[in-house]
Formats: sequence, structure tokens, C-alpha cells
Amino acid sequence: MKNLFFLVSSSFDDFKRNKVRTFLTSLGIMIGVLSVVLLIAFGQGLKNYIKEQFESIGTNLVYVLPGRIVGEGGGFRDPGSLGAKFEEKDVLRLKKVENVDYVVPVFEKSVTVTAGANREISQLLASTHEIALALNLEPEIGNFFTKSDLEKRAKVAAIGPKLAEKLFGSKDNAYGKTIRVSNQSFKVIAVLKSKGGGALGGPNFDTITYIPYKTSLRINPDKKFYALYLRARTDTNIAQVKKDAEKVLLKTYDKDEFQVVEQTEFLNIITSIFSVLNGILIAIGSISLIVGGIGIMNIMYATVTERIKEIGIRRAIGATKKDILFQFLAQAIILSLSGGIIGLIFAFVIVFFVRQIFPAEINLISVIVAFFISSGIGIFFGVFPARRASNLVPIEAIRYE
Amino acid sequence: MIELIDITKDYEVGDETTSVLKGINLKIKDGEFVGILGSSGSGKSTLMHIMGLLDTPTRGKVLIDGRDASKLSDEKLSRLRNTYVGFVFQQFNLINKLTVLENVLLPALYAVEKLPFDPRDRALELLAKFGIYDKRDARPNKISGGQQQRTAIARALIMNPKIVFADEPTGNLDTKTGKDILKLLNNLNREFGVTVVIVTHEKDVAKTTKRQIFIRDGEIVQKYL
Repeated sequence: MKNLFFLVSSSFDDFKRNKVRTFLTSLGIMIGVLSVVLLIAFGQGLKNYIKEQFESIGTNLVYVLPGRIVGEGGGFRDPGSLGAKFEEKDVLRLKKVENVDYVVPVFEKSVTVTAGANREISQLLASTHEIALALNLEPEIGNFFTKSDLEKRAKVAAIGPKLAEKLFGSKDNAYGKTIRVSNQSFKVIAVLKSKGGGALGGPNFDTITYIPYKTSLRINPDKKFYALYLRARTDTNIAQVKKDAEKVLLKTYDKDEFQVVEQTEFLNIITSIFSVLNGILIAIGSISLIVGGIGIMNIMYATVTERIKEIGIRRAIGATKKDILFQFLAQAIILSLSGGIIGLIFAFVIVFFVRQIFPAEINLISVIVAFFISSGIGIFFGVFPARRASNLVPIEAIRYE
Repeated sequence: MIELIDITKDYEVGDETTSVLKGINLKIKDGEFVGILGSSGSGKSTLMHIMGLLDTPTRGKVLIDGRDASKLSDEKLSRLRNTYVGFVFQQFNLINKLTVLENVLLPALYAVEKLPFDPRDRALELLAKFGIYDKRDARPNKISGGQQQRTAIARALIMNPKIVFADEPTGNLDTKTGKDILKLLNNLNREFGVTVVIVTHEKDVAKTTKRQIFIRDGEIVQKYL
């Protein structure tokens, strides 16, 4: 305590004499910190990934869904059979809600799309031309179907880029070709830009087939819709839009038959599920930190035993119990902390490379956590051997051979 | 001045209690040169450890300049060991991973108060005086026994102690080197007024001191047999 520099330098002298031992001991902490920091980084990455997905659609979307999908407590609920099927009238009514740019009806169905001999499963989304505006869909080749396509019941489709590649080999090849869905032919008039998704079991926006809903009568004969998407004007009060939409719908439907949900509510539910999973993983990863700490304790006991005579000498010439305690505690902390720092550096390197494909992220909190945990482990597991050293009776220690 | 009042030291081995010291009364005044003579097992080393505050008595009092040592905290005792006394051991007890100079400097690292001298200068001065200046960067296990004991004496002196305890300081040395070391301790006493207490089982060694105390079976006796 009197001389921090002396404590640190004497620890480093000791490490220099026992290089292999020092390396192996801090390796335990290194691996522990590495795994915990990486788990935090990947957990954060997963959240970022999901958020990006949602943001690519737009955060000012409000969904009108049948039944109660989102429960009172915030979790998903089984919508059950109870629930509204929305109609064209609802679209017109909701268009009157203030600050709403677009209202699009959505009929969704899983279908098999064929092109020549190729068959692919695709999510069919039948809606109006405005769905492109509501969901920020941009064509890479061609143009999205128009209002007149809708009214003319044109047999046209806009397809995702992955679907185009799977069916036709390339995006360029797909343009202008014909696909068949439920015995109906559609001309591909647009191949959309990639929106990603599909990883981790989520929806893949790149394999969806969009068609005008009026064309799809054979597929959806009674013109009922599974959902309605409302795109609020940018920077408006989404909560107010939600409330107004609810008021409009309550005139037609029972309050249990539908639900108005905003994008962020979905986001919150999904991120909270992943947070719990990630928390469990981090807890499991922390076991390796404890194992590393036991390694430090083990080595510190060995060091103390090796140095009993030296401790006796130091005590004889004036070192207090505290001096000895701090000497060994400092050594344990330095050992643990340097393992932690090296683990952190490795984590940064790994995350740097992973970021090319996945938005993993080491935030300030995980750096701070790594520092505190590794020095905390040094203190916790170092204090027992250090106390043993400081409590040695000087004259017995000095006689120890 | 160190005063021992009715000091006993018992060791318990299993169910049996052995008394190593049986009521020792002793005064050592400042500036004395004392030899404590006793055969092995007589308790002389234990006596020295108690006087030097390395060990505590089972009963009795150690007064350092009139202060009862048993009432002092570990911190105060350590400080007294650091500044008031110096030790020279038969086994030298140097730390082999430190250099000669670092060994000599070690007590200064544990000094609480700012020292009135530069420890490094003083250490080098002591090494020069003892003829081992050129060994300052060597490890203790690479130099001769005599040189090691000189290093140990330099370490004992660096903090300017009032009293130096030497436990069989010549025990691991040949006769000639032993004599040199004794001469050196004698000089310390004569020239610098340091109180020196030598513990030994050799009559010849004890004879070099000014006052001899004989100890046998844990008691002070008048005549050494």
C-alpha cells in the first residue's frame, strides 16, 4: 500500500519467473471473459439485427390484426379462431383517420409458385398498389403494379429477389416471365430490392410474391383480409393514430375481435424474448469465469506456499500483515485483470470480423463488466491465499524450508 | 533499552507442554555488546526472537524503551522491527530472486515515514564499507557465505537500528570468514554505538563480546558448563 509501484513490479517479477504458470492461469480468466463478452456482443447483435429488419419496413407502421395476438402482459397470445376478417369497407373507413398516409389490406397465404419445371414455396401477399409505399418496397427491375393494374385485375406479380433467383436463375431472367400460382398465371413485372430477413426462422422478405388483391379472387374468393396495414405520416403521434383506428373499428367489430398493434410493440416482445435467452447464455458462460477464478486461487495458494520463507523474511524486516496481504492480492488481481484484458482484446478482434456478416456489438457496458468482473474475481479468489500469507507467524515462516 | 520481565515460552506438542524459556529476566542497555551463550535446545534462539519481536512470550513482558510490546498492534510491532531492530541469521535469509542491493534496500520499502537519507546511497555506502560493492547486482546464491552474511548485516543496518541481533552469525562460515564477521559486528558496536546481541553456542564467539549471558534449559545461569 505504501508503494503501489513496488507491489506491481514485484508481481511482474514473479510472473516473469513463472511464465508458463502465469499464462495458463490467466488463460482461464481470458476464456471466461472472452465467452461472456462475446455472448453479450452477439446478444446485442441479435437485437440490432431484429431492429434493422423492422426499420427496413418502417417504424411508423400500425397493424390491424384479428383477435388478440399481443396479450395484456406484452407476450404473444394464440389468436384462436375468434377474430375479425377485414373487408374493403374497413380500408375506406380507416383512410379517414387523421395522419394516415396509406391503408392497405393484406391477404396472406403460403403457396407453391411454379415457373416451368421449378417449384418454390412462397408467401403470397395480395394487396393494393399502395403496399409498396407502406412497406418501403422498391423494385430493382421493372415497376411495382399500379392502381390501374389493381382495377383491371391485371394478372401481374412483383416478386422478391431470392424467389426470382430460385425460379429463374437470375433476377434479370425473371423479368417479364410467367409464374403460376394456384392454376393462375401471373406475369412478373417487378423484381424487388433485397430486404433481407429469413435468418433465425424469421420472415424472409425476399421470397414474397406480391399480387393485386382484386386479381386474386380465385385464391381469396370472399375478398376478406387477414390484416390491414396503416402507414402513419412521418413524425406523427403513432399512439393517437392507433387510438383513432381503434375507435373506427369498434363501430363494426367487437373489441376482442381485432387488435391494433404498432411496430415497436412487436419489436419489444421479440427483443425481450431474446434478452431472456441471452441472459441464460451469459449465466452459463459465467461458469467459466468461476472456474478461472478457482484456477487463480489454486495458483496463489501454491505461490504462497513456495514463498513462505520469503514472507517470513519480509515480516522480520518490517512488513506488516497488510503489506503481505496487499502484495499477494495485487498479484492475484493483476493476474486476473490481465487475463480479462487479453480476453477483451480477443473479443474485439472476433467481433470485428463477425461484423462483416452480423451486427454484433461490444458496448461500453460489457467492457466495464469485463474489467469489474475480472478484478472482482482476482479479489475474491485472491483474498483467501493472501490472508493465509499475511497471517503466517513470522518466526515460523522464516524457519520454513 | 530492552527489558525482559519473567519471560516464559511454552510449546505444546500433542498433550505435553514443554517450556523452552522458564522465567527469564534480562536487561540490555543501549550500546552494549552482549553474547548469549547456550547449547542447542537451551532456548537461546527463542529468547532472541522474543527480544527481537519476531515471537511472543507465553507469559511475561518485553519492554522496549519502557513500552510493553505485548500491547502493540501488528502494525506498530512491524514498524519497530523495521526501524528499531536489525537481524542477522545463521542461514543469512536473503531473498535469492532479488539482487544484493535489492536485498539491502528491502527494509526501506516497508518504511512508513520518509527516511532522512537516500536509501540507495546508504545501501551502496554500506556495501562499499563491507567490501561487496562490486557484488551489488549479483544474486545472493551466486556469492560466498561471507559475502552473503555481509549483505545480511548491511540489510540489518540500512534503517539505522538501535540494536542488531545476530543468531549464530558464524555458524555457516569457515573460521577465518567467521572471525571477519565478528570483527565487523564488534566495529559496529565500537564505532557507531549500535547495541549488538550475538546468540551462539561457541565459547570463542561469545568471548569476543563485552558481556556474556549463559543460558541452559531455558534459564539464565551464572556459569557456563
